[in-house]
Amino acid sequence: MRIQRLQTRIIVFFVALLALVQVAAFWFVNAANSRNAQEKVAEELNVGQRVFARLLDQNAEKLKLSARVLAADFAFREAIATHDTGTIASVLANHGARIGAAAMVFVDLDGNVVSDTLSPQASSHPFVYPELLAKNAANASMEVLDGRAFQLVAVPVLAPLPIGWVVMGFAVDDALASDLRQLTELEVTFALDTPQGRRVLASTLDERDQQALLGHMPSRSNTVSRLVINIGGVDHQALVIPLDQNDSARIVAVLHRSLGDALAAFERLRNTLIVLAALSLVLSIIGSVAVAGNITRPLEALASAAARIEQGDYSAPVNLQRSDEIGVLASSLNHMRSSIADRENRILKLAYEDPLTDLANRSRFSNELELAIAQATQGSLKLTILMMDLDRFKYVNDTLGHGVGDHVLREVSARLQQTVTGAECIARLGGDEFAILIKHDQARHAGNADFVETARRIIAALEAPILFEGQPLDVGTSIGIAHFPEHGRDAQTLVRNADIAMYAAKRNKTGYATYEQHYDTSQQEHLSLLGELRSAVERNELRLYYQPKVSLRSSHVSAVEALIRWEHPTRGLVPPAQFIPFAEHTGYIKLLTRWVIREAVRQCGEWLREGLTLQVSVNISARDLMNRDLPEHVAELLAEHDVTPGLLCLEITESGFMEDPAHAQKVLDRLAELGVKLSIDDYGTGYSSLSYIMKLPVQELKIDQSFISRMATDEEISTIVRSTIDLGHNLGLQVVAEGVEDVAVWDMLRKLGCDDAQGYFMSKPLEAHALASWIRNNHGQFSCLPSSGLPATSHAAEAAAKG
Amino acid sequence: MNAPSRRLATGVALLLGARGAVATDLTLEVSDPDGKPVADAVVYAAPVTGTAPPVRPKLRAIIDQVHKEFVPRVSIVQTGTEIFFPNSDNIRHSIYSFSPAKTFATKLYSGREAAPVLFDTTGLVILGCNIHDTMVAWVFVVDTPWFGKTDADGASTIKGIPPGEYRISAAAPAPSGNLKSIEMTLRVGGDGPQRQSVSLLAGG
Repeated sequence: MRIQRLQTRIIVFFVALLALVQVAAFWFVNAANSRNAQEKVAEELNVGQRVFARLLDQNAEKLKLSARVLAADFAFREAIATHDTGTIASVLANHGARIGAAAMVFVDLDGNVVSDTLSPQASSHPFVYPELLAKNAANASMEVLDGRAFQLVAVPVLAPLPIGWVVMGFAVDDALASDLRQLTELEVTFALDTPQGRRVLASTLDERDQQALLGHMPSRSNTVSRLVINIGGVDHQALVIPLDQNDSARIVAVLHRSLGDALAAFERLRNTLIVLAALSLVLSIIGSVAVAGNITRPLEALASAAARIEQGDYSAPVNLQRSDEIGVLASSLNHMRSSIADRENRILKLAYEDPLTDLANRSRFSNELELAIAQATQGSLKLTILMMDLDRFKYVNDTLGHGVGDHVLREVSARLQQTVTGAECIARLGGDEFAILIKHDQARHAGNADFVETARRIIAALEAPILFEGQPLDVGTSIGIAHFPEHGRDAQTLVRNADIAMYAAKRNKTGYATYEQHYDTSQQEHLSLLGELRSAVERNELRLYYQPKVSLRSSHVSAVEALIRWEHPTRGLVPPAQFIPFAEHTGYIKLLTRWVIREAVRQCGEWLREGLTLQVSVNISARDLMNRDLPEHVAELLAEHDVTPGLLCLEITESGFMEDPAHAQKVLDRLAELGVKLSIDDYGTGYSSLSYIMKLPVQELKIDQSFISRMATDEEISTIVRSTIDLGHNLGLQVVAEGVEDVAVWDMLRKLGCDDAQGYFMSKPLEAHALASWIRNNHGQFSCLPSSGLPATSHAAEAAAKG
Repeated sequence: MNAPSRRLATGVALLLGARGAVATDLTLEVSDPDGKPVADAVVYAAPVTGTAPPVRPKLRAIIDQVHKEFVPRVSIVQTGTEIFFPNSDNIRHSIYSFSPAKTFATKLYSGREAAPVLFDTTGLVILGCNIHDTMVAWVFVVDTPWFGKTDADGASTIKGIPPGEYRISAAAPAPSGNLKSIEMTLRVGGDGPQRQSVSLLAGG
């Protein structure tokens, strides 16, 4: 609309400008021509007047000459001299006819008319224009005789002295007027102006124009007057010339010329001008339409290009090959288009791509999944999603730093991309969590074996260690598989169920798992457990069980490890593996740890009062090490229950202090200052080096049960255990073996010089009073004889509880 | 005045003198109304009583044409005089008169081809040339032998006038053609004046 108006404005402007110029030019030309025409006519009138006067004079001279010739005729003179009136009349008539005079009069010396061809029968009477009669000269004048105008010439008749005058009258008639017009190129009218009125004597005009002319004639004047008269609708410039001075009846000649005639040439010029103006207007309209189009068409192209960009279509550049400003604008627009496209791509990349691995991110994956579900719902497509996370990534990240973690993630991405072909989307959802979306034809994939195969390939691909600066890193994975539509008809359900399958795989250490209904219920259980855990403390449903640590050298029991148990009112005893990880994830672990420390310290104090001095170990998590208030809290508890700090041992995993080593170090230092004993738990599962542990204020090293349980059968493991014990001793640490389940291991450890042992071989975790009874019954000693009477059951759950 | 006319005048005077001893000469001094003397004016005297002397035969006069002019321009002759029109020009002339006193016309002629014309009636005869309009001559034809023409001083003496009562006439044609004239009665002889001034009246 605006462009249309711009075009219109351009056209209107140019056409109006041209029209204005033309009107102005036309006006000037018109005025100049009109003035020229008037001047020309005035000039023609002046010339005409002179010619007219001259012609009249010449005419008179000619007539005088003729009259003189006649007057000199001897016979004529003889007839006059002899007063032969009859002869005189006939001579007058004859000679008049000979020279074309309309009237012939002879006047005697007394001024009386002797003979008159106009009225032959009239008696003698004085001649009416005596002033014409001169004895020695010929006179000529315009006069009226018998109502008709004549140019009268009076010539004396000499014999040889004057004896009378012959007066000849030449008619002033239309023929004369026509002759004069031919010579002067002016319209000529002779008119008689009497007090009684005016009438035309002779004229080159027709009757109607004559009347018009009479109406315009000025009042009687003795001088030539000039005026403009309108005859037949056309202006004429006219000269009114009095031809005689007779007072009563004056003859005037009116010479005039039509301005129309003079303007005729200009009229033609004007018509040409009008045609030219019209032509140039048309051309200028066409031209300005073209010019405006030339401006507005590219503008429209630019506008539509801008509209396309606005709609997000960056594919088509504006194609304007112009070197002018519009071309520059088009080029700028193209630059802008590509810049916006680039930026949008970058934004999209940021929004939908994981910058670390260049895989899709969670948003992208969700979108793709929604889209794929929409497509699959309409058609016969099936979808499969694989959710996976890395089993030991947390350790890698915690112990070796984020740089290594990032490297691992990138490497895993690369392997995923190589391994999984034909996937719709491979995404990193966050952390070490990956998801794969696969679209497939139901007909082609009869079963789910293909995806199981895919999962296996992924696991296989990740089994090869990832190298970081030459160091091999071992990262396993757990994969959950869910199919659309069997395992959920919407994205949220599908993802959650794949997640559940993944946790199941992790839990069952099967590597991968396809979603099954009962996973969901156990998952639901976890969730509701978590909710109930919040109130477990208040409801006093949590219990601490204690497992004794036995000195391998003296078999003396001087320490126990406190292990948490949840006595659910309906579910019975809930193993720690089912709620500790969730507690850690939600941060509830801090509350839990507090409760455990308080309970452990309280129990320790109780035992002291009962005369039983036992060092109590408590597991604390990485999150607890982030808590600056922990040392003060511990100190308050110890003071409250009157327990020596040395009786409290806090066990931390390697990863516990790797998350923020500097912070952890401060907390650990503070605890050590208090006199609290510190122990490294699960040693061997992480990647921390002993040289680093050396810097920590720890006194004890606990070798992970996975080593201890296999050392009896595996020579290599036994070597590792031995060297670990040696290293620990060399660093001045007390070495504790966990998971001792039979006497063979007991004996091996004793031989290797390990300080303490803990495990089902000696005792399973016991309630406080049971433990006290067990110690009293054994007199504080553990006898490695089978007759100890203690139950020897599986301890897998115990080990997991210490995660 | 040329020689023949002088001889003629002398002849007239002698004739008068022979007739009577008492004859006198009368000198007339002609002037125009302004008082200026008029040359070439004709004067003549006719007796109031008695009859004029009879016309004598064989009276002759000459009017020559010289350079397309009549010479003399003004003549006065007694009735019965034959006037000769010799042509001294080397072109031809054709002399005419429409005057009632003598109407005549000659054919074109050269030299002395033209026959003399008898002027036998008193009156003024105006001569013209038919082919030269500017040529004009005045011929006064009088029935008295006592006449004359004034000289350059406007004076003319008429000789041998017998005493008696006379009607004296004087006339002179103006160049315009108008004739100025005067008539008066005068007693000649005896105690009559011998010189008389005459003032012309303007002619019509």
